[in-house]
Amino acid sequence: MADVLTPTSVADAISMLGAHPGAHLVAGGTDVMLDLRTGRSHADSLIDLSRLSSQLSGIRAEGGRWRIGAMTTIRALEDDRELARQAPAIGEAATVLGSPQIRTMATIGGNLAHGTPSAEMPPPLLVHDASVELVGADGTRTIPLADLFVGPGRTSMRRPEILTAVVCDATDGGCGSVYLRQTVRWAMDLAGVGVAASVRVVDGRIETARIALGAVHPVPLLVPLASAVVVGHSYDPGLAREAGRLAAEACTPITDARGSSDYRRRVVAALVPRALRIAWLRATGQFTADRAPINGVLNEEGR
Amino acid sequence: MTASFEVVGTRLPKLDAPEKVSGLVQYGDDLQIAGLLVGAIKRSPHSHARILNIDTSAAEALPGVKAVLHAGNVQQRPYGFYGDNIPLKPDIVRFVGDEVAAVAAVDEETAARAIALIDVEYEVLPAVFDAYAALEEDAPVIHPERNLTSNVSMRWDFDHGDVAGAERQAAVVVEGLYQSPLAAPAPIETHVTIASYDAHDHVTIWAPIHMVFLYRKEISQCLGIPWEKITVIQPPVGGSFGAKIDIDPHDFITVMLAEATRRPVKMSFSREDEFISTRTRQPIHFRMRSGADSHGNLLFRDVDIVSDNGAYNGWGSHAMLVAMQTCSSHYRVPNVRIRCAVAYTNKPWGGSVRGFGNPQATFAVEQQMEQLADALGRDPIDLRKQNAYHEGDVTPQGLRITSCGLDECLDRVRKQSGWDERRGRMKHLRRGLGAAAFTHVGGGARVYGSDGCGAMIKLDDSGRVTLISGSSELGQGSETALAMIVAEELGIPVESVAVVNSNTDIKPWDVGVHASRTTFIAGNAARMAAAEAKAMLFATAAPLLGAEPADLASAQGEIYVRDEPNRRIGVARVARRRLLSEGGSAVLANAFYDPPSEPMDETHRGNYSAAYGFGAHVAEVEVDVETGMIRLLNLWTAHDVGRAINPMAVEGQIEGGAAMGIGLALSEELTVNHGRVLGANFHDYGMPTAVDVPRIHVELVETIDGEGPFGAKGVGEGGLIPVPAAVANAVADAIGVRPSQYPMRPWKVLEWLDGASELPTVMGPTRG
Repeated sequence: MADVLTPTSVADAISMLGAHPGAHLVAGGTDVMLDLRTGRSHADSLIDLSRLSSQLSGIRAEGGRWRIGAMTTIRALEDDRELARQAPAIGEAATVLGSPQIRTMATIGGNLAHGTPSAEMPPPLLVHDASVELVGADGTRTIPLADLFVGPGRTSMRRPEILTAVVCDATDGGCGSVYLRQTVRWAMDLAGVGVAASVRVVDGRIETARIALGAVHPVPLLVPLASAVVVGHSYDPGLAREAGRLAAEACTPITDARGSSDYRRRVVAALVPRALRIAWLRATGQFTADRAPINGVLNEEGR
Repeated sequence: MTASFEVVGTRLPKLDAPEKVSGLVQYGDDLQIAGLLVGAIKRSPHSHARILNIDTSAAEALPGVKAVLHAGNVQQRPYGFYGDNIPLKPDIVRFVGDEVAAVAAVDEETAARAIALIDVEYEVLPAVFDAYAALEEDAPVIHPERNLTSNVSMRWDFDHGDVAGAERQAAVVVEGLYQSPLAAPAPIETHVTIASYDAHDHVTIWAPIHMVFLYRKEISQCLGIPWEKITVIQPPVGGSFGAKIDIDPHDFITVMLAEATRRPVKMSFSREDEFISTRTRQPIHFRMRSGADSHGNLLFRDVDIVSDNGAYNGWGSHAMLVAMQTCSSHYRVPNVRIRCAVAYTNKPWGGSVRGFGNPQATFAVEQQMEQLADALGRDPIDLRKQNAYHEGDVTPQGLRITSCGLDECLDRVRKQSGWDERRGRMKHLRRGLGAAAFTHVGGGARVYGSDGCGAMIKLDDSGRVTLISGSSELGQGSETALAMIVAEELGIPVESVAVVNSNTDIKPWDVGVHASRTTFIAGNAARMAAAEAKAMLFATAAPLLGAEPADLASAQGEIYVRDEPNRRIGVARVARRRLLSEGGSAVLANAFYDPPSEPMDETHRGNYSAAYGFGAHVAEVEVDVETGMIRLLNLWTAHDVGRAINPMAVEGQIEGGAAMGIGLALSEELTVNHGRVLGANFHDYGMPTAVDVPRIHVELVETIDGEGPFGAKGVGEGGLIPVPAAVANAVADAIGVRPSQYPMRPWKVLEWLDGASELPTVMGPTRG
């Protein structure tokens, strides 16, 4: 049995992390406890962050961007109506992460800092140009989210740094985003493929576009070569398919019980155009539902 | 259906539901006994290996360890079909999970540490994981001690008529290979067994099992304990689905640990243990050809069946009997040739999971019905009705069809689903409808010397009626159904009936809960005992009411003169009168019901059930042809249940079975890599969630069976059986490509669309 330490401030937590080289941080615990139980990792002691929850939770609009505290639960992201309107991809990913029980415990900081390639939250945050705030013994640094991920289960955080917040774009009229995924079950499943897309439309043309992939690369992956294809044009199915093809080429999926590498590439190629279409429809006010169908198949009326 | 009943046919919530939903129920793992030790098992990490040495010295030296057992220091005999299993393996291990040693210790942590300290030296042997590969001539032989030269554990052949001749007459012939996965029954309650010896060398075992008398016999034979020195008590069963039919090695091991320590010992499985080492639903593969004449009459069926039953036989080896029955007797086929082989492989071994070989067989037969219909340009439901059995028919295997509502079931799902307007007309939406029907035993199954069940009724001075039934409750609602049957027969409120059914020292013999038999068999026994008790009550009441017993009737707890209902007396008063008068006697009645069925003979002919259940499903799916994701939109079902004793419970059984079938069809598979179960947890296993299960529409067809209690037939498994077949047929309607196996996971759908896996590259030598 590991010792449990309970810091009451971020500074406390950082000094504990520094003093206990074998310690793990526990926020919601939904990943860490599974890792410990199945022997995927070992901890001499656990640093329970639950008393930092009030300091590190909250979803706030701040200077034209969203600031989301690291201890904000996935459930809170799922329930936030304004976030759903301005950053629908984030709300959609939150809605399909695990089960209601897991979402009530799991935190956004934990989901990012765990470094899981198939994690639900990185792709939508990447297409909303997110950064993360890391607080260490020497102060705070802010890095682009894409720079956080180094490999499966590995991040660029330097011990004893703690991830305290995520900051991402607050979008408005003319912007749209979406998160889609492929699973075997329609709920309570890990993504075989996750795809997020966002577009900003100005004067009927896509001015900026981002596409991010989950579960198909050692890290959550932005694919700028793919999104570049659609920039400068209004939505075009042929260009969207080309973006899908390029995205499938850019990733390097593994083969496991949730699908082969080839299968996953095909799904990337299928989901990217759907994601671009829904992001476009949202940006142009043609698709107003808070949640898109999770595999991106719209019915004949485009709903 | 003019008979009117007071209790039978009412919608009654299960009598044990409040305890279960409120958490008050005490399951096996909740039992507390002073001095209880914890048992644990050292399992094989290899799929196939020879045990060279077991060093238990470090484990024995650990404080808190009370016993360390292995084949070298226990008395045990082989058990199971052909004696191919033994609790603690003496020489060879045959799958990852095989039992090698066991400990009893003061707590879980000490037991786990002791298990880790046991050092076993192995010589790894070549292993085989695929049934067809296991049947190759050069495959490593898994059970040489049986003097087998191959891995064919059992063969069943059946021949009827002239298949070759019929094939020459056929206008159309369809063929295919239909495969199913290794799946798990995955009950929420994992296995748990407690054993305790008293000062008279009598052992009491608590285990949530449901073939309790056979269990007791196997404990006696394997461990050499006199039969009469064993009492088995069944705590409430937290789900089984067939997982708890076979006795498991840990049951014997727990008793051995209790004997060695002379203290009570509990062995409780983790979820990982449950997935890795307990019974599975065996993959069964069908290479099937069927032919029909130009009018659509089935002419022949020619089937090679291979069952991949894993490392040991268990009851799972007999799933072939049911698979065979569906091939020969689900539709009217005059010429049949069936070759069945049960293969040993180095994998977790098969049990008798809900449906018992029938979902797998129905997946093949019901796809072939739609393939034939397509080839003939006929409507598939019409073709089924044309070839359906009816009351009075006898099938090639000698099954005598009595009550049979298959036609009406097909009509009902046709109407409910909008079949005539919608099938084949939604391809532009990638949507499709698929039908599948089934036949399953509905009046017991004579797989043992007796298919009987005993029942006893007693009334005491309170007027409370106790039914002591040989059968067991495992969540299927049988206690409620049996109480309703007794209440109806005696004319008393159902609340006045207690059901006692969980102790071998108290209850009469029963073969056990399996084969959808409990309401039919135990229900008939209960009704017979209740009728006898009623005769006793009427004999006492008649002089009190100044009438003849034949003129009496009873309802709502009172006995009255049929023509003058105002002359009445309470049942409790009559019971007291009988008990407390001079020379008194108690109301004690008993009955034993063994159904009028026959064992199968050596040619696999015999009417082995006293009634048969029928039903039909239509599934509606939408297929995403780019990702392969299938969404099940609707499932319409109609079941011939004879009579619904408790319609609410019958619907629950059908819906629950259907949900289980949906998991099989779309997502459930126990993934095994080189014999090792991967993802032994509910996240990876793929059981459907609420959003994966659409509205299940249930219609009940009541054919009032002549032999069943109040006309009821068994319904425990039917809801599951046709689901994979119906979903496959719906997928074929939606996208024009026929699934050759389930679960129909997304990447398989794309492979089928690519035409990549119509047939496997290797077909084993399965023709005998």
